[in-house]
Amino acid sequence: MPLDTSTYSLALLRLDGRRWNELRNIHAQISTQAAADGSSYLEMGNTKILCTVTGPAEGRQSGQRGGRDNEAKVEVEIGFAGFSGLERRKRKNDKRTSEMQHTLETAYSSLLLTHLYPHSTITLNIHILSQDGSLLAACINAATLALIDAGVPMTDYLVACTAASSATSADSDNSDPLLDLNNLEEQELPFLTVGTLGRSDRVSVLLMETRVRMERVEGMLAVGIDGCKRMREILDGVVKDYGKRFS
Amino acid sequence: MAPPQLQHVNLSPAELSFLRSTLCQDPPIRFDHTKGPKDFRSMRAEYDVLPGANGSARIALEDGTEALVGVKAEVEKSQWRPSGDAQLRDADADANDKDAKAKGQNSWMEMSVEIPGFRDDDALPVFLASMLTESLLASGGLKDRLYINSRFHWKLYIDVGGSFLVHISMLTVQILLLSPPLSYPLALLSMTTHLALLTSRLPALKSDKDEDPLFDDDWDAAVFLYPKSKANASEDKPPVIVLAMAVGPNIIFDPCMEELAVADAVLAIACANATASSSRARIVSVRTIDPPSHLTPPGVPNSMNSATGGTVPASSAEALTQRELFANSGVWTPPRGGMKRGLISQVVKMVVEEGGVAEEVISALHAIELG
Repeated sequence: MPLDTSTYSLALLRLDGRRWNELRNIHAQISTQAAADGSSYLEMGNTKILCTVTGPAEGRQSGQRGGRDNEAKVEVEIGFAGFSGLERRKRKNDKRTSEMQHTLETAYSSLLLTHLYPHSTITLNIHILSQDGSLLAACINAATLALIDAGVPMTDYLVACTAASSATSADSDNSDPLLDLNNLEEQELPFLTVGTLGRSDRVSVLLMETRVRMERVEGMLAVGIDGCKRMREILDGVVKDYGKRFS
Repeated sequence: MAPPQLQHVNLSPAELSFLRSTLCQDPPIRFDHTKGPKDFRSMRAEYDVLPGANGSARIALEDGTEALVGVKAEVEKSQWRPSGDAQLRDADADANDKDAKAKGQNSWMEMSVEIPGFRDDDALPVFLASMLTESLLASGGLKDRLYINSRFHWKLYIDVGGSFLVHISMLTVQILLLSPPLSYPLALLSMTTHLALLTSRLPALKSDKDEDPLFDDDWDAAVFLYPKSKANASEDKPPVIVLAMAVGPNIIFDPCMEELAVADAVLAIACANATASSSRARIVSVRTIDPPSHLTPPGVPNSMNSATGGTVPASSAEALTQRELFANSGVWTPPRGGMKRGLISQVVKMVVEEGGVAEEVISALHAIELG
């Protein structure tokens, strides 16, 4: 445990001064790259992500151009900039990155109306410019915005949030779940990433890599899903603001 | 799979020939006809875009090509070099400062260029990185400023790249963002690196000479990697690379992709600003670049085309001799050979002269930072 969050129980304020159910400052833009089919830029606190979409277009491989059963194939490529972390590190195709890619691929394959684009590929290219926690959630949010900008039909927004359980000792039962973690909190607390479809409670992505007591999960999920709903409003606002420019 | 190449422009021999003849006029009419031979393409630039880096900058050209540079510095232990250091330290205190002047080592700076769609060890990224490093090291100053004390130094990592965008990228897998195609990216990368280094800061040192380094944790107290002084003229600034191309008698700066496709020769010139020792801009390094025009397909003149009443040459040797005769007839033939000496000296003069291209570019980048 690199940090001591025992102060949380005193003032009920987290390290960066937020309360348990507060999101970080979120700033997003769409259509940032003129030359891409769709693009977005998303900041969640100090996590900064640039996402571009190419396609639906004919795939590069000469063999199988699209996905199975006459549906479009979704490909995700995640790149970490060398200067994104605290220490400079070159990340090359490690397991975490490919797991994130796989998570995004499966999530968007089922969300997008891929049957409309047989024999074609939709490629998402995600550049992580600066990382400060909630990486997968930020990637999902940025990808959703970029896909909307590209005009790829989908049924609803796929938005994601992280949620943690604040209790560090096993016996304290009255623990608050925390919403939207930054890097320090992520290192210390058990947390999960949850992605839901728009306003509904339908969970589409759920990832948890840490150990936590069974009875806490429900609370964490509830807070996460609630955060997703707020996130949807924010992203929806970004899209509508962009649309107003053309009205 | 063949290694990825810069994408070629799809222009027919007739179009190439037309483009070349307009560029050869006096004054030349450029692809973007509103621009003169010395005009650069318009761009958007910003700096300090990343909170986690010591310095960063982003420049986006109108066509969507974009470069992002992050500079990160880490403290590293210097290798002990048995070179009579002890005697030097025994000398008076001033000697120690003077000593720092020549203490920098080339290995203290590391640059990597990342272009989506290219592997790290592909020719283009490696070549671009070495050109950028070369000019930075050649301009002096920088590496010596990475010296902390005899045991420690800063290690500077410069990561160039990120997002080059392409209009048509059928090359899906990794490449969604790629675009060397939209002109040779060297000049853009260099300008972005220049801006990032210009705004890079290192934490202020609090400890004395050979102690373990201890830094001021107030970021506002951080010192600029390229120190700023009131007198603008003499302060040291990172070099910047400009591309110049020759077409016939004309010299054109900052060529776009289409213009490069008809270039006779291309020069990459790294220039630094005027310092105390030199009153005008200096040239740090010059390199020639193989222009993509060498790979364009030649046109077939009517006399060699049986469809238009000509006779097809019997052998390839005969075809070659015939082509020689048509060299200046307006039928497109890819340029061969290098650059005339006279042209090189003309380019150099245009770059370094008072109010020349070098001065203009460096002051323009400086103005971004001020304003």
